[in-house]
Amino acid sequence: MAAPVCLEYRIEGNDFMVAGAASNNIKNTLKMLGISSSVCTRVAIIAYEAEINLVIHGGGGVLKAEITEDRVKLTAEDEGPGIADIEKAMTEGFSTATEYAREMGFGAGMGLPNIKKNSDEFNIESEVGKGTRLYSTVFFNKQ
Amino acid sequence: MLHSVKISREACQGCVNCIKICPTEAIRIVDGEINIISELCIDCGECLRSCSRQALGIQGDDWNKIKEAPKVTLLPDPVFYSQFSHYMDPSALESVVSSFGYEMMTEEMEEAFDLSAYACAQAISHSPRQSLPLISCYCSSTLRFIQSRFPELLPRVVPVCSPLELAADLLRMRTNSSAPITLLSPCPAKITMIKDPQGRERSPIDNAVELRRVARSIMASNASPQPETDARERSNRWLHWARRGGEARHIQAFSDRKLTMLAVSGLRNTIDVLQELELGRLRNVDFIECRICDTGCVGGTGTAESRFLANLRINSINVDWNVTENDVQRAERLYAMDFWAIEKEYTARPHLPLSDNIGEAMAKLQQMKEIYSCLPHIDCGSCGRPSCQAMAEEIVRGHGSVTDCIFKLREGIATLANRIVVMSESQPQTLKIRGETK
Repeated sequence: MAAPVCLEYRIEGNDFMVAGAASNNIKNTLKMLGISSSVCTRVAIIAYEAEINLVIHGGGGVLKAEITEDRVKLTAEDEGPGIADIEKAMTEGFSTATEYAREMGFGAGMGLPNIKKNSDEFNIESEVGKGTRLYSTVFFNKQ
Repeated sequence: MLHSVKISREACQGCVNCIKICPTEAIRIVDGEINIISELCIDCGECLRSCSRQALGIQGDDWNKIKEAPKVTLLPDPVFYSQFSHYMDPSALESVVSSFGYEMMTEEMEEAFDLSAYACAQAISHSPRQSLPLISCYCSSTLRFIQSRFPELLPRVVPVCSPLELAADLLRMRTNSSAPITLLSPCPAKITMIKDPQGRERSPIDNAVELRRVARSIMASNASPQPETDARERSNRWLHWARRGGEARHIQAFSDRKLTMLAVSGLRNTIDVLQELELGRLRNVDFIECRICDTGCVGGTGTAESRFLANLRINSINVDWNVTENDVQRAERLYAMDFWAIEKEYTARPHLPLSDNIGEAMAKLQQMKEIYSCLPHIDCGSCGRPSCQAMAEEIVRGHGSVTDCIFKLREGIATLANRIVVMSESQPQTLKIRGETK
């Protein structure tokens, strides 16, 4: 087994213009490793939505990708307000995004459901007032 | 893989403008000479725009040879009609062209573009919600770009042949003449469409020349149009495909419901819209028209006229956007004949991975990160590659070495020079120690 490849990105809060750079970078890295393009797209979507969540809700945070030979594990961590009711946050269309975020075309309440849909393994931990930690794993040879 | 960008090695000064502008990072300078990596090139023509020494040009067929043939059949790109200030009316231009003895395939063009718009409208209305938006395939450079950078989007590209090809198909079906058909192309990409067709085995079009070449020779002749003889009613809808939004509008004209369509032009906009689409941000959009060239095909690198004026002229041509019952029936008849669909799927042309074995690829990726971290990260291009990242990648792929970087080379020389100083200070045994003698 080769040593895992770790990528780490610091995402600034409320900076909509640069959102997408990290996910693009992760996708290109996977392509260079010869990962199939359908998996690359799924990972790109997860990373992008996680990035957007950090921008809109988390007040910024860190997005990490740890790639091994059979999977990529994404972690998004913030020290934002946290999620009071995770189950509710996971329902399609539910959103607590600000008016500003909505004006920018975000906050449709599809982010977390989308991440879950594209993940093979998914987990989210949150504590109000402390922050949120999101884990998502995509396997390369599943199916 | 065939391409239509030609390089004049004598004119090339080895400046790095083109390698930095190329959207697929397909250009390298090796041993002072420009090199295009064939697998990556999408024939967008951006490098031509960036070159101030005319070292890059369009490689089409030889017009001087083509025009000597006993019968010259021209398939004019819509852009052709926007190139002349003194033949504002399409029929005036046609009469001038025919006075040279060339035949213009206008009727087939009108039908083929109607058919194409109709087929796209049908494809949109038959697609389930989640397969929308569909993407236009008219800009062959965009198609190639999707094949290499966004292969996941290929199923969204409308499976309809280019209307330019369909017009040639129609002519072939209707006449038994085998006289060659020559496309007047506004860009290298459409020339490549004929030389290396995507979605079909072979192109019905035989030759392709830069539209500029023919437009200039007609301009120079200063011929005046014959008095109007052709009183045929024209819709002229197809001419609008020369500018951004024309295709979308044409498809709307053949559609039953109001469609949500995006029409973007220019390299950056095209990249951005495809990226947003891939990330799932463009919900509720039905169709996306992308043109790599700014302002649309009138902005192509093979045109003779200012894209702004050309755009204006197309806009001032009388167009009938109301599709008549007759038009629909004609399109339906052609649609039923089924020749408009692509014969084979568009294939992905993804970038080669670092290795076929993922473990090895990961090791190389680590190596690449290490090499990259010691480079200056200013993407100056002096190493002949578009960025430090590209250089690191090429080194791990086995092409080039770190000393190709002028800054690393300088560092190396400085280290060497320091060693020389240190060595020069070491004392031979026979000499008295310096400083003590005086």
